[in-house]
Amino acid sequence: MRLSALAWRSLAARPLRTGLTLLGIALGVALVAGTFLANQASAEAVERAARDLYGNADLRVRSFDAQIGLTQRAVDTLRTLDGVEAAAVVAERRLTLSTLPGDNERVFPLLVIGVDPADEAAVREPALAAGRYLSTGAPNEIVLGVAYAREKGLALGDELLLTGSRTEAPVLTIVGLLEPTGFGALANGAVGVMDRSVLSEAFDVPAPITAVDLVVVEGEIDVVQEGINREMAEPFVVETQEDAAAELGAAQAGFAGISFLFGLVALAVGAFVVTNTLAMTVSERTREIGLLRAAGMVRRQIRNLVLRQGLYLGVIGAGLGVALGVAIGAAMIAILGATRTVLVSGLPIDSQALAVAFLVGVAVTMFASWTPAADAAAVPTMDTLRASQRPGRSLWSRLRWIAIIEVAVLVVGLVIYPLTRGTSPLATIVVAVAVLVGAGLAAAFALEPLGRIVSSPFTWFFGAGGYLGRANLSRDRARAGLTVAAMTVALGAVVALGTTSASADQTADRWVNSIMPGGYAIRLPIPVPIDDFTPVFASVTGTKVASPVALFPAVLDDDGVRREVGMAAIDPTTFEDEGSLIMVEGDRGVAFEALRDGGAVLIPQSFASREGLTIHRNVTLDLPGESAAGFEIVGIVAYSLPGRTGEASVIMSLADAEALWGVTDASLWAMVRQPTVTAATYEGLVAAAAADNAGEPLSAQQVADRLTRSLDELIGLYDALALVAVLIGALGIVNTLSLAVSERVREIAILRAHGMTVGQVQAMVVAEASIMGLVGGLLAAGAGVLMAWAIVATSSHADFAAGLVIPWPLLAAVALMGLGISALAGVYPARRAAKLSMVAGLKGYE
Amino acid sequence: MESILEARDLVKRYPVGGSEVEVVRGVSLSVKRGEFVAIMGESGAGKSTVLHLLGGLDQPNAGEVIIDGVPFGSLDDEHASMTRRTKTGFVFQYFNLLPILSVAENVALPFLIAGVSVAEKRSRVEEVLEMVGLSEKVNHRPDQLSAGEQQRVAIARALAGEPAILLADEPTGNLDYATGAEILDILWDSSERLGQTIVLVTHDARAAAYADRVLIVRDGQIIDEVRLGRRANHDAGPLIARLAQLGL
Ligand SMILES: Nc1ncnc2c1ncn2[C@@H]1O[C@H](COP(=O)(O)OP(=O)(O)OP(=O)(O)O)[C@@H](O)[C@H]1O
Ligand SMILES: [Mg+2]
Repeated sequence: MRLSALAWRSLAARPLRTGLTLLGIALGVALVAGTFLANQASAEAVERAARDLYGNADLRVRSFDAQIGLTQRAVDTLRTLDGVEAAAVVAERRLTLSTLPGDNERVFPLLVIGVDPADEAAVREPALAAGRYLSTGAPNEIVLGVAYAREKGLALGDELLLTGSRTEAPVLTIVGLLEPTGFGALANGAVGVMDRSVLSEAFDVPAPITAVDLVVVEGEIDVVQEGINREMAEPFVVETQEDAAAELGAAQAGFAGISFLFGLVALAVGAFVVTNTLAMTVSERTREIGLLRAAGMVRRQIRNLVLRQGLYLGVIGAGLGVALGVAIGAAMIAILGATRTVLVSGLPIDSQALAVAFLVGVAVTMFASWTPAADAAAVPTMDTLRASQRPGRSLWSRLRWIAIIEVAVLVVGLVIYPLTRGTSPLATIVVAVAVLVGAGLAAAFALEPLGRIVSSPFTWFFGAGGYLGRANLSRDRARAGLTVAAMTVALGAVVALGTTSASADQTADRWVNSIMPGGYAIRLPIPVPIDDFTPVFASVTGTKVASPVALFPAVLDDDGVRREVGMAAIDPTTFEDEGSLIMVEGDRGVAFEALRDGGAVLIPQSFASREGLTIHRNVTLDLPGESAAGFEIVGIVAYSLPGRTGEASVIMSLADAEALWGVTDASLWAMVRQPTVTAATYEGLVAAAAADNAGEPLSAQQVADRLTRSLDELIGLYDALALVAVLIGALGIVNTLSLAVSERVREIAILRAHGMTVGQVQAMVVAEASIMGLVGGLLAAGAGVLMAWAIVATSSHADFAAGLVIPWPLLAAVALMGLGISALAGVYPARRAAKLSMVAGLKGYE
Repeated sequence: MESILEARDLVKRYPVGGSEVEVVRGVSLSVKRGEFVAIMGESGAGKSTVLHLLGGLDQPNAGEVIIDGVPFGSLDDEHASMTRRTKTGFVFQYFNLLPILSVAENVALPFLIAGVSVAEKRSRVEEVLEMVGLSEKVNHRPDQLSAGEQQRVAIARALAGEPAILLADEPTGNLDYATGAEILDILWDSSERLGQTIVLVTHDARAAAYADRVLIVRDGQIIDEVRLGRRANHDAGPLIARLAQLGL
């Protein structure tokens, strides 16, 4: 018989085990392939969004201060520059739309973009999911982001009002739904596009022109650039399509890295399962291999026999995995698209990525079959020893190889990492997976002592079954250890996710509360005079203080290094009295006093560490067209108010801003409540005041929720991925215990002969599975927290500034989940054990 | 003397490729309390099958087994298990022990299964181990024992629960002559001193010669019975002579 036929037959003889192992490999590969595709979809979506945003435009001239915008004169200048073929004006305003007044009137905060439909045609063509785009001559139309519209239950033909606009402002009709690309990709898809003239006329103050997009005559870019620099009389920034892609991409930077991480986790778990299965097959067939050796087969042939089995498993499993991966990728993309958490395009069938996933699957399986192959080759000619009692090999010598395999998985992961085009720090991923895999291996060693500790309830509950179930675990420590390791890694991923998300939530809460004195605020779409509006907001019932905040951009000069920064001018007294702003460096009292005295700024920690700025340093702040002024950094704060692009602002006093640069307008008012009104009542009052002034009410709670919402949704998706890994781990348990049962038929028969009932035999197997699962769950709790700590510690992300939060209920839940899933996984082998005939068992056969 | 084990017209058939073969064909026997009975026969005669039926490890297609007044056939798994636990003790040819348990734990296994506190039965475990001469090795693992020692542990375990009847299937089959004799001496000793009822399956006349009575099985039937009576010398001569007459 040919070697290949023998290898094949050996797999076919154990259809269940082979099937489970194939499924394990397939799921691992599927996860890798699926995340590849989803990452690809997100990368493609970002590129496409930037491309569609620019259309034919080569340059975008953006106003320095988006709240002020460019003047009509600047627009005219740009339009008539030499080399400019076409120009399109973009105005932006955050505002609230509502359905027509009535019982179920609803409001929608949106980023509304005003365009001139006539000019648009020459610059870009919007991608529509339904309906049509704005038409020239029909100004009362609007198109909305498709996912947002679906989420809010808005459809083509629905009518919307601009809230807070002049009473004669027209009703808008939804005529089209935008694909999540171009304008539709902005603000997470919570976006609407309408005629700029209507948008401007609806309010007393026109919507600021944030950008002018220019289509340049072929080869004239430099001429146009020069022209812009020469002719523009007001502050501006020139951007290109790449800048837009970078900005859109930054928002989903972490996604590719983290989802790739889960692919690796699944592969690592898969590697444990494959090694274990093949090792079991070999140990089960020791006698047979001995016979083959006696019949003249040489060691090399034996090794090849096992490697060939690995190859078959790998090729078939990875093949199935790729097919399954396309399905998983499609599902991920559908979820991401519907929840608007990450920009995604349609399902890209990237044959290169799928080929890599396939090869990785085969390679990992081959690696994983190396140890069992070597073990098989080492079997002496006639081995009459009991298979599971190979003496003289320490646990470590048996696990050393799997450690090497797992390192190989990591290395393979690193090599293919560029494929995912991830931008999140590689170090985080490597450390995180290393922690998890290390913990998995540690699990193999901890199983015995920990098993002893956790088994007492099982002994109490299952009696003899529990006692023997625990004792069985020490029979083959490498095998049981690897089974637990797989479970530990998979469950550890679930814990890590939960811990990371809890930490991010806590950070968000702290962040929002520390920058929002009083916990409520009103945001207006445009800056309005402080002197006029502060009394209006202060008169809202139950208001202790209405404190204006002016947000504007500036240039910070630190010994000649100039960077654009967002500024937030505040009333220091309100922030001090309400305990806002968390001081990381500098004395709180001194810092606020200095702000009041003038010439002082507070800088956010993220900015300080990125730019290497320290407390007491003197910097210069510069407003285009205004005089520069020197400031001392009097404190470093943990969080600050977000500027235009979401980065934290530098904080100064309103008095300074007015005195130096004539800032007299603000767009944000912090609302501090008097204790005499309840929070719920006050929230309603603030909302009403906001609506009356075309503004948007904010509450700390709601902002924090919004901040963490997209993260939570992603975490939900990752949890689903991690659960696939848990499933692979559970397959490992079924595999291990099925083999254990068939190996122990004689023992089980002897137990039965001594009066063990069918129920006790089942309990024994289920107890064995449960103890494995509980140990796995407990270790996973530790490993997951460690992994989360690695993520939090190595990521520079301000998302985790509040440090690690340990979600205890989740840890308990995961430990119980390990127990429950494993107990379930033990049911099938247990039933098989119970069905065994005593007489057949005594003969030593199944 | 009262009979402690009764088998009436036992029939056992196995399906073999479409049809059925009858491997036990109408076996009836009765064992009295304190009696030492051997079942002899050639390989494949059906000795083990009969023993399994007697111990309730397998169900006959026809006939019935009554052990200490309890008819096995009518019991569900729970009660059959309990009967095995309390009425019978088994010793098999090899691999009787659980490799993961120590000698003492293996002996205490029936108590563990019964849910009886093992600590409570400690003295009993020590007692039976003393009886088989293994007091020194209570904490050994089975793989640290010789084959003969392993069989002695198996006997200690079978005796630990003071069963109504001890069923042994070729307990010396895997052992050399001297070691086998030690095992048989222990069985004899328990029969002599404790009045333990024993049914021993063997194809070795020298082992069967320890018994009071030998049943000869061929083709699934008891074809003869040799009454040796209680003898301290275990001389196999008379039995061998009788077997020769039967052409065995
Ligand atoms: N499960 C089975 N299916 C079919 N035939 C069986 C089965 N078990 C036993 N037999 C047959 O029943 C007959 C009696 O078997 P048994 O094991 O009782 O013999 P034995 O007298 O104990 O032999 P040995 O001395 O070799 O142990 C044999 O011919 C055997 O082939
Ligand atoms: Mg037999």
